[in-house]
Amino acid sequence: MDFATFLQQLVNGASLGSMYALIAIGYTMVYGVLRLINFAHGDIMMVGAFLTYMATAAGLPFSLAVLIGILGSVIVGVLTDKIAYKPLRNAPKISLLITAIGISFFLENLFNVIFGGVPKAFSAPDYLTKVLHLGEIYLPVTVIIIPVVTVLILGGVLWVLYRTKYGMAIRALAFDIPTVKLMGVDADRIISIVFALGSALAAVGGVFYAVSYPSIDPLMGVIVGLKAFAAAVLGGIGSVTGAVIGGFILGFTEIFVVALFPELGGYKDAFAFFFLILVLLFRPTGIMGEDLERSRF
Amino acid sequence: MKRTLSIVAAAALMSGIAMAKDVVVGVVLPLTGPIAAFGQTSKGGLDIAYEQNHKLKNGDNVKLVVLDDRGDKVEAATAVKRLLDKNHATVILGEVASGNSMAMAPIAEKAKTPMITHASTNPRVTKGKKYVTRACFIDPFQGAVMAKYALDNGMKNAVVVTDAKQDYSVGLSKAFKKAFTAGGGKILKTVLINSGDKDFNAQVSTIKAAHPDIIAFTGYYPEAALMVKQARAMGVNTPFIGADGVGFPELVKIGGKAAEGFMYTDHFNEAAATSPEAKAYVEAFHKKYNKPADSMGALAADAYGMILNAMNQCIDEGKAPTDKECVNDKLRHTKGYKGVTGVITINENGDAVKSAVINEVKNGKFAYKTTVNP
Repeated sequence: MDFATFLQQLVNGASLGSMYALIAIGYTMVYGVLRLINFAHGDIMMVGAFLTYMATAAGLPFSLAVLIGILGSVIVGVLTDKIAYKPLRNAPKISLLITAIGISFFLENLFNVIFGGVPKAFSAPDYLTKVLHLGEIYLPVTVIIIPVVTVLILGGVLWVLYRTKYGMAIRALAFDIPTVKLMGVDADRIISIVFALGSALAAVGGVFYAVSYPSIDPLMGVIVGLKAFAAAVLGGIGSVTGAVIGGFILGFTEIFVVALFPELGGYKDAFAFFFLILVLLFRPTGIMGEDLERSRF
Repeated sequence: MKRTLSIVAAAALMSGIAMAKDVVVGVVLPLTGPIAAFGQTSKGGLDIAYEQNHKLKNGDNVKLVVLDDRGDKVEAATAVKRLLDKNHATVILGEVASGNSMAMAPIAEKAKTPMITHASTNPRVTKGKKYVTRACFIDPFQGAVMAKYALDNGMKNAVVVTDAKQDYSVGLSKAFKKAFTAGGGKILKTVLINSGDKDFNAQVSTIKAAHPDIIAFTGYYPEAALMVKQARAMGVNTPFIGADGVGFPELVKIGGKAAEGFMYTDHFNEAAATSPEAKAYVEAFHKKYNKPADSMGALAADAYGMILNAMNQCIDEGKAPTDKECVNDKLRHTKGYKGVTGVITINENGDAVKSAVINEVKNGKFAYKTTVNP
């Protein structure tokens, strides 16, 4: 591999990694509060991408379409919580997990029925699909925009968590829901806010995913959702910074497996997950995760 | 009264002609999932053929039971079991992807039920099977056509892109490599991808460093569209050649301008359709869907037509159209069947011997380039 190709692969790794990081943040946020691995997260992401696609197809400007995508996903996310998760607040965690998987299947199949399974072409404005040339290196603008958005969102989420009253309530809920309720906090409302925030993040992730890989289908959230989940676990689930680190590690691993051993490229997912197992063997709580019972965000 | 009724029923059963019965053709297609476009277009063509004719010579009705397997091997196998146990299908039609057909074939074989795949081109689908037939040519032929076309146009150095998850792609790559090196070409590199992947930047960067004359892409259209798009964005202008798995409108819709010049071998192009059978089909297709007729649909129509043809031959011999042994025997000995995609003869392996076309994406449409005979 010559130096230019190596640099190009670094860019590719950063591009893919930031994508995973962006989606993993949402996973980790919901987990941090509810101890719920929201397997429907990848599907909310798909909902965001599809709603944006529909809005652009209806002739709305892209920015407005994205807004509709985000709002629609927030509504779907909050409704999911109200209809499916809320009745199970006091049920064993495993019931919640199975419900999440059920919601995931429901959303996938619902969109399959409405839109059909054939991939749709997602059209994004030119300023998002431009490719910059730096000598021999080709740099899609999303490689710059996505990490910036990820950092902004990370900052925003941390700000909400540590600088607002809601954030304080969210962090308190993560420790002990019954006690927080005794303090007079409306726990259900706070949980709804967490879902709204998580869904908005998923929708933003979905839109950027669709911009980078402009082919959307109802099952698009499955694999990337799994990868983002792996990234969140790798970084230490529940830790927002960990999710970002995990995302980048996963992205770089995948790209460099292909770059260094092209004939093994078909097994890149296996490598990525093998790496995950390896990390968990030595650090069972992930890279940033500390004692599971103590760490909250 | 009861007695007379049962006598009538018994007489009807014995004569076997008194009442029109339903003969079930079980269809397994990927109507959703990553290769849904294949299933959807196959179903479109099947519907046309069904509307044109679904009555057998003895007055029996053909009934289609269509199941979706979401493009998944396990689901495809389950669907066949269900069609046999629950719907009592006489014949199984499907699947598109070779891997899925291979998951289905052993079940049909065990149940001694004839199965015909309209579009699975991997040789292993029919290999060693007594009850599996296909309406399409096989990959060694398709791979050789790709290789010959590239070499004839002076492209001597190729990178092969293989979808490691698809038996279709693995087999096709092997066939291409064999024919390409035998014809004096050189394989610079083989790059592996997985269907369902969206990011091919790593592979594209590797290809770019190898400087090939041609990229032989043996996978399916969703990956083809994204890969050619990412390749062009990274300044790789090497032409792509693929096979029947890429020729879908989504290649152009998703690939956009980047898909221009993408060449591929295919079973059918309506521009090359001259026989009365093909013309009638194309006309009905335009009327119903108001778009150009695709090859998957044409193949599905042919597979369906071959089934009816076989059943009618059985009726001619005084056998029931539900006689699986007879229908299978007739299917396996199809000779000179005039279908939509050309004249089909089944060889001793159960594979169809027929011609291929080469198409190219031009101004967002699939333009016909040439026909290659076996």
